[in-house]
Amino acid sequence: MIDVRHVTKRFGEGATAVTALENVSLAVPEGSFFTLLGPSGCGKTTLLRLIAGFELPSEGEIRLDGESIGHLPPHKRPVNTVFQNYALFPHMSVARNIGFGLEMLKRPKAEIAATIEEMLDLVQLGAFAARRVDQLSGGQQQRVALARALAPRPKVLLLDEPLSALDLKLRKGMQSELKRLQNETGITFVFVTHDQSEALAMSDQIAVMSAGAVQQVGTPEDIYTAPQSRFVADFIGDTNIVTGELLGYEGPMARIRFADGPPLTVKTASATLVPGPVHIALRPETITVCDAASEAALLRGTVRDATYFGAGSQMLVCLDDGTEIQAQVDRPSPVGTVVGLSCDTSMLQVLAD
Amino acid sequence: MAELVQQIPKASENLQQALHARAKGKRRVRLFLLLPALMIIGIFGLAPLSIALIYSFLEPGTYGGVEWVFSTDAYVQFLFERDIFDDTLSFNSAYLQIFGRSFGLAIFTMFGTLMLGFPVAYFIAARPPEQRNAWLFAITLPFWTNLLIRTYSMLLIVRDEGFINLALMKLGVISTPMQMLYTDGAVLAGLVYSYLPFMILPIYASLEKFDFSLLEAGHDLYASRMQVFRQIVIPISRPGIVAGCALVLIPALGAYITPELLGGGKKLMIGNLIAMQFGSGRNWPFGSAAALILMGVVLIALLLSLRAGAEKENRHG
Repeated sequence: MIDVRHVTKRFGEGATAVTALENVSLAVPEGSFFTLLGPSGCGKTTLLRLIAGFELPSEGEIRLDGESIGHLPPHKRPVNTVFQNYALFPHMSVARNIGFGLEMLKRPKAEIAATIEEMLDLVQLGAFAARRVDQLSGGQQQRVALARALAPRPKVLLLDEPLSALDLKLRKGMQSELKRLQNETGITFVFVTHDQSEALAMSDQIAVMSAGAVQQVGTPEDIYTAPQSRFVADFIGDTNIVTGELLGYEGPMARIRFADGPPLTVKTASATLVPGPVHIALRPETITVCDAASEAALLRGTVRDATYFGAGSQMLVCLDDGTEIQAQVDRPSPVGTVVGLSCDTSMLQVLAD
Repeated sequence: MAELVQQIPKASENLQQALHARAKGKRRVRLFLLLPALMIIGIFGLAPLSIALIYSFLEPGTYGGVEWVFSTDAYVQFLFERDIFDDTLSFNSAYLQIFGRSFGLAIFTMFGTLMLGFPVAYFIAARPPEQRNAWLFAITLPFWTNLLIRTYSMLLIVRDEGFINLALMKLGVISTPMQMLYTDGAVLAGLVYSYLPFMILPIYASLEKFDFSLLEAGHDLYASRMQVFRQIVIPISRPGIVAGCALVLIPALGAYITPELLGGGKKLMIGNLIAMQFGSGRNWPFGSAAALILMGVVLIALLLSLRAGAEKENRHG
């Protein structure tokens, strides 16, 4: 288990110092597929490099299975990295690349050879052992990079946007491949990506990061259905954020209402908001369209646009207060009509900010 | 339809002819474009070499030049001394010593430039791309001044009343000037200075595209700094190191100006020996023979090192 405790990382000194991470704490459970998700510049790669040892924390501590490793150089940490550009050694064959870590650990020759064999099988590159790495395609290089990082049996495998250089089809294939490797090896994977669909598809847990801080940690389902903040709601999938009025709390739930509608009891990310206007997340696919005058209508607006995308249609509805709402519907209403929007109130979530 | 089918072989025959003609034309153009370079190599390279080869098997003329009498004396003289009275041969190592000193100095020069040049090349390759040209310009700056002048200024620095001695005496480190000029050390320093760019540039070229994330990958895979250097940096820059060593070693072997000025003609190198034979020595055949022996040794060394390099490549392949 990786335990990141109050880690701050600053680059530069004095007035020009840039804070890449600000008091970040995280616990990565052992044997899990853990994803650091966020836009570029959010500090996710810096956090990964701190765990790998390429950077040292300005403050705070990193523990691996209870041992503090934050101050160790990379070659003394039982952690291996798959680099974004693979960083394969161009002067070595595929087999020697894979065996490099074990060679440096001074393992017996026979053990190294056996592990190389095993790893080549694992990533299905058995026929390529003697090839030079520059004779391989991008997808194959990716597999070599994986095999090289897995060969020393690290406690943790760090993956720095490893799929970003692959085309869409290969990427989909590698996603399930990575998941399979993680299951088979039982090694903790820490995966960095800015692609939310990738994160949702692969992870056991996701930490959403922004501006050098962790915004929310949870399972993909948690993150998707119960975003805590506007940033998370916005970053993960398409989300509508509507303004409603907080009336008060009812146990762990919040009582809200939209405009002059009836009071509703919904989930809330924060129990300390003051009654008044709050932001509420509403996923496009949970919305159903009904008659504007119907009792079920929670919101009312005018249809502005409708786009057909095969499995359904995307409808753009403009509310009276000017907020634009995306809704996924089977059959869109004609542009210009006034419609009511309703949804299962258990899918609504009051955001913390 | 039948006509069409008959036309096919004819068409393909035409195509064959056209392709053939075009290939022939291309060959002619290529030859034509190569001609100037071939002529220069022929006239100024191979022809003088042939003359030297012929002269080395003739007898020296009394006032320079050659007598057109076949003789292998020039080669014999390289290793043996002929007694003036009874014509017996006795072994003479004087010329071998000069060769030995030349090789020694050239090899030291090679290692000196490698030790100084590698860090410089690595440093430049590690700069952001927009800064590299300025550094490379600084490296090539000495070429803007003639080698003779640069060597003379070195002479002014290391001589007894030169900058180094004056400074050391002013500082009270020494009371009398150190003898630096006309020593092997002075020649070596001069050679290292002159040939340093020839080491830096090829190594830089091999490191220019170096992916510095490979260093992190190496560290990540349990290699210490030393191991990363030996297992990753050195092998990747090997072509540049080999080229740099050849570019320094070969001309350093035949260096003339530097040993002449900084060695004061006392510490002869092969270049000086050869020049002397065509000048005051008046022994053109021996000068030619010495030049050819040097060339032969260098060629053999080069072939051996190339073969060793190829074997190494295969083993790692």
